[in-house]
Amino acid sequence: MSSLLVISLAAAAVFAIAALGELLEQRAGILNVGLEGVMLLSGTFGFIAAKTSGSYLQGFTIAILTGALVGLLHGFFSITLGSNQVVNGMAIWILGFGLTTYIGYPYTGPLGLKPFPTLGGLPTFFVVALVLAVAIWFLLFKTHLGLKLRSVGENPSVAEASGISVTGMRYLAAALAGMLVGLGGAVYSLVYNPVWSYNYLQGWGFIALALVFFSLWNPFLVVAGAIFFGILWQLSLYPELLFPNIFSRYIWRAMPFVITILVFILLSTRWFRLRWGATKPEALGIAYERQG
Amino acid sequence: MGGDGAGRIVLEARGITKRFGTVVANDHVDLTIRAGELHAILGENGAGKTTLMRILFGELQPDEGEIYLNGQRVHFRSPRDALRQGIGMVHQERKLIPAHTALENIVLGHPKTRPILNLKEAERDVQALCERYGFRIPLHAKVWQLSEGEKQIVEIIKELYHGARILILDEPTSVLSPPEIVKLLESLTKMAKEDLAVIPFITHKLPVVLEYCDRVTILRRGRVVAEMETRQATEQTLASAMVGREVMLQLERVEVPLGEPVVQVQDLWVRDDRGLFAVQGLSFEIRAGEIFGIAGVAGNGQEPLAEALAGLRPVERGSITLSGRDITRAPVLERWRQGLGYIPTERRDVGSIPSFSLVDNVLLNYHFEPEFSQWGVLATGRARALTERILQEYSVVAAGPDAPARSLSGGNLQKVILGRVLSRRPRFLIACLPTHGLDVGAAEFVQQRLLDAKREGMAILLISEDLDEILALSDRIAAIYEGQFTGIVSAREATKELVGELMAGLRRERV
Amino acid sequence: MRAVIGNYTIRIERRADLRWWHTVVASVLAILVSLFLVGFAFLRAGADPLEVYREIIAYAFVSSFGLPQTINRATFVLLAAFALIVPLRAGLWNIGMPGQLYAATLAAFGVAYAFGAKASVNAQLNGAIVIPLMVIAGLIASGLYGAIAGFLRGRLQVNEIVTTMMLNWAMLWIVAHMIREGGPFMGRTAEGEGFTLPTAIRMPQILGLPLTVYAAVLLALVLTWFLAKTTLGYRIRTFGESPRAAEYAGIDATRISTLVFVLGGMFAGLAGLHYFTGVPGVYKIPKNYGEFADFSFYGLITGLIARNNPIAAIPVAILFGGVSGGARFMQGKLRLAFGIDYALLGVLMIMMVAFQALAQYSVRIERAVTAPARQVGLERGESRVESPRH
Repeated sequence: MSSLLVISLAAAAVFAIAALGELLEQRAGILNVGLEGVMLLSGTFGFIAAKTSGSYLQGFTIAILTGALVGLLHGFFSITLGSNQVVNGMAIWILGFGLTTYIGYPYTGPLGLKPFPTLGGLPTFFVVALVLAVAIWFLLFKTHLGLKLRSVGENPSVAEASGISVTGMRYLAAALAGMLVGLGGAVYSLVYNPVWSYNYLQGWGFIALALVFFSLWNPFLVVAGAIFFGILWQLSLYPELLFPNIFSRYIWRAMPFVITILVFILLSTRWFRLRWGATKPEALGIAYERQG
Repeated sequence: MGGDGAGRIVLEARGITKRFGTVVANDHVDLTIRAGELHAILGENGAGKTTLMRILFGELQPDEGEIYLNGQRVHFRSPRDALRQGIGMVHQERKLIPAHTALENIVLGHPKTRPILNLKEAERDVQALCERYGFRIPLHAKVWQLSEGEKQIVEIIKELYHGARILILDEPTSVLSPPEIVKLLESLTKMAKEDLAVIPFITHKLPVVLEYCDRVTILRRGRVVAEMETRQATEQTLASAMVGREVMLQLERVEVPLGEPVVQVQDLWVRDDRGLFAVQGLSFEIRAGEIFGIAGVAGNGQEPLAEALAGLRPVERGSITLSGRDITRAPVLERWRQGLGYIPTERRDVGSIPSFSLVDNVLLNYHFEPEFSQWGVLATGRARALTERILQEYSVVAAGPDAPARSLSGGNLQKVILGRVLSRRPRFLIACLPTHGLDVGAAEFVQQRLLDAKREGMAILLISEDLDEILALSDRIAAIYEGQFTGIVSAREATKELVGELMAGLRRERV
Repeated sequence: MRAVIGNYTIRIERRADLRWWHTVVASVLAILVSLFLVGFAFLRAGADPLEVYREIIAYAFVSSFGLPQTINRATFVLLAAFALIVPLRAGLWNIGMPGQLYAATLAAFGVAYAFGAKASVNAQLNGAIVIPLMVIAGLIASGLYGAIAGFLRGRLQVNEIVTTMMLNWAMLWIVAHMIREGGPFMGRTAEGEGFTLPTAIRMPQILGLPLTVYAAVLLALVLTWFLAKTTLGYRIRTFGESPRAAEYAGIDATRISTLVFVLGGMFAGLAGLHYFTGVPGVYKIPKNYGEFADFSFYGLITGLIARNNPIAAIPVAILFGGVSGGARFMQGKLRLAFGIDYALLGVLMIMMVAFQALAQYSVRIERAVTAPARQVGLERGESRVESPRH
């Protein structure tokens, strides 16, 4: 049972790290719905790098770099060109999904490296996720930079009037977010499930996106939600643990998606939606144009 | 009032010219501001005030002309640049982040603010500033919790904290109640006396200008048409200079025999977007042919009340009756069918769709009527005919019924909305800030139409931030403060002072 | 934005007026550049990209086998595009066409199964009764499947992108359950594909093409008319342009959201019905059903390139149907790695977004001053004469 918990936390790490990245970006007003694409691209390139070089370090480095680049690409369309952020996110997703199917195909199969070491029995990257959550919380609420980032996401013209470069802040957020989301993608393809197959991510990028919304942009709630979904996913893979012999294994694979929707429904109470409206960064998803 | 020894010149603008396409917003404007004085800039909408101010504080670059600060030629590349040189600006619309605290807003972006926030130190500095000028603000409150007047003070403190010695204020009194206006002006006068921080003013509240300011510069159509000491001016001379002709400062009152009650509201409780009660147990009724005006500073519950009446906001408790029918929980369409009409505050975001044609915009209030929707198909011919009629009757300047709504000016758009709603001949009209942002001509037109509607027996709920308008149009006036009526007075008994005090919650009458 | 290089000033500004042909040019450029980039994949395999494209075009649009395949693929893409377009007109994103199309397919095959169709390909069934029942069941199933996302969005503001994605994956696993090892719809071969539809209840054909092809073209016209001329269409468009103004106008958010997703779901469902009950040679849920799920995303990009215009989507769908099919053919012929058509999809999408965004800007180059300056319009063939100041 405890090994189930460990794997759940490994899964949680993927959700959490990716969601934390997007949280940072959304706090600055940038909405990227194409997390799935970023994670696919970074996870695939990272996988290829790790497989060909035999080194985890190379894999993660390439993944983080890829994530940053894709994040910046999305940023370029959304910030400089000011086009619709949802469309841009969709484009990133389809780009990732389409391109990685072709590029990754020859590498279908297991990674073949020694399993990534754990940290005191816990998945290393879960610990990383916890540290990141604290770091991001501190950054956003206890530093001047964080105040600036948040102000850019709430009211960019006010921020600009206070001497802050909205463009600069948002690009910074996009790059950082890209790196984190990229890291999340790499954790999936290199550690959690180190086997490449096309479209391997199965919607986890979208779940990470939902996690940001439902966490009310609070890093600790992100981690809590990630743990929940991590456990949920493991149960679906090993249903015999709880419910031996009911339903075919395919139906079990479908369950977590259904349950995810149910969770959303249950959370979306009137109270929640009120809080959500109040905590949402006001300028989220809205392009900013400098006057003048 | 104001600083004595109106002394050395601190800010001078010479020949400022700015064009937007073919429109000349500022035409060789000269401005001289001295230390220790309150210098008002007056002008109608579109006279060029805002453009001038934006140039002075660095948001816009002039096409021609120079600016001199303390005798030195300066060139502001950005607002930040201007602020660094000591010019601060407080805008008409709040430039604060509601979700952050007052203190956070004040220290945002200041070079002195450490990378890791040390709010205690900042708080000490800000408190010192507050004491110096007599401001009292709860620094740790979130901005959305503050009153409009307090928010404005926060912005002023912010500019001062960032080192402003010259403070430009854009329409500072527009969202304040009369007592708050007095308080603000006293603070500003103190600032002027204190250390000669000069405060140019932009306002069209003429009595305020006369009482508190030392000098006034008047703009009309982009040009300076007058500059004088307020000692030598009267309301009439100021208004005439602004408009360029003799101005009628009074609207004609209309007396109409009142009919049966059309709308009855009982003990209404409505929540705002944050879940707090914005409307707290309001009860009133409006008769046919009556204009019931609600006077209040923005944010005291008027909008949620209007939205609840229109069906756009749920009612927590209480009832609304329209011509005898209970519409408390009725859907929006049913209310319109029962004779309700609603002119919303936001004409571009709620009252119209900028990218749609005028015909499609007229359909917003007609798409559900059988004559306009036959067998599920839109009767576009009929809709176009109606639109053309409205354009004509309301003298709307537009390219045609197919022109997109965004091509219309604010005044013309408002006329279309007004025409659209009135053409339905509602029994009960809710008009929210109907002349907000309109120039004198358009505002007069709208007000006249409201009076015409009243003459035809419509019951009208008028919500306005313009106290003069409410006093001029309403039969009865209710002052609203924090979601409750502090008093309902008839037009005969109402004076600006009385209503002003009621609006500010300084007094309560039996309701 | 302004840059000065030597004697020249380059000015990049946001356009004041975006004409429809700007976006058409942008779309065309996006397509051409994408094809160019994907050409590199052919180059890597040692083939001449131009030659390859010529073969693709010949295969897809001329050959007697390729052309019907193109038309069938195009119909699939077109219907998937409608599934995107209707909700998008209301400002909502339907990326659930994979799930919706299989909901319809399973329902239709369920009806067939109920009538004993699994037994044999020659089963004697009354097509006149069963086929319409299959279609109706399919449309209801896909409409309902779509409605879930729409209703949740309208009523609870649950983000429809995430909901539809979850529904997609759930449905794909349900299909696996139905057609794989021991599932009720498992085909004779027991190789992970569904049973084959008996001849009697296959979608009727006209000129060798299933009825659904003609229906799709007809629907393009109907849909255009619906959106422009009907009251419902007006309400959908109003809600899409401004939910707040729509609320003011008494338009119910929950109803509209649900409605557009029912319609979107039905269109996707029709795509599924078209391919799996109508395309000759298929007539079953195939082993590679996941690839069809992916293929429906071509509908997404078709809808976007066509700027939400159902009729404009027709030529785009034909192009993509043909090129993607041709690309797969060449992929087999040249023994390329799997996924050329996926790569094309990905590149197309990003190029489209890029060019649509760039179309919003105009580039002007001015020569600095000794003579009265002349401006040379660069992009989109504009040219204007203006004085150097300003």
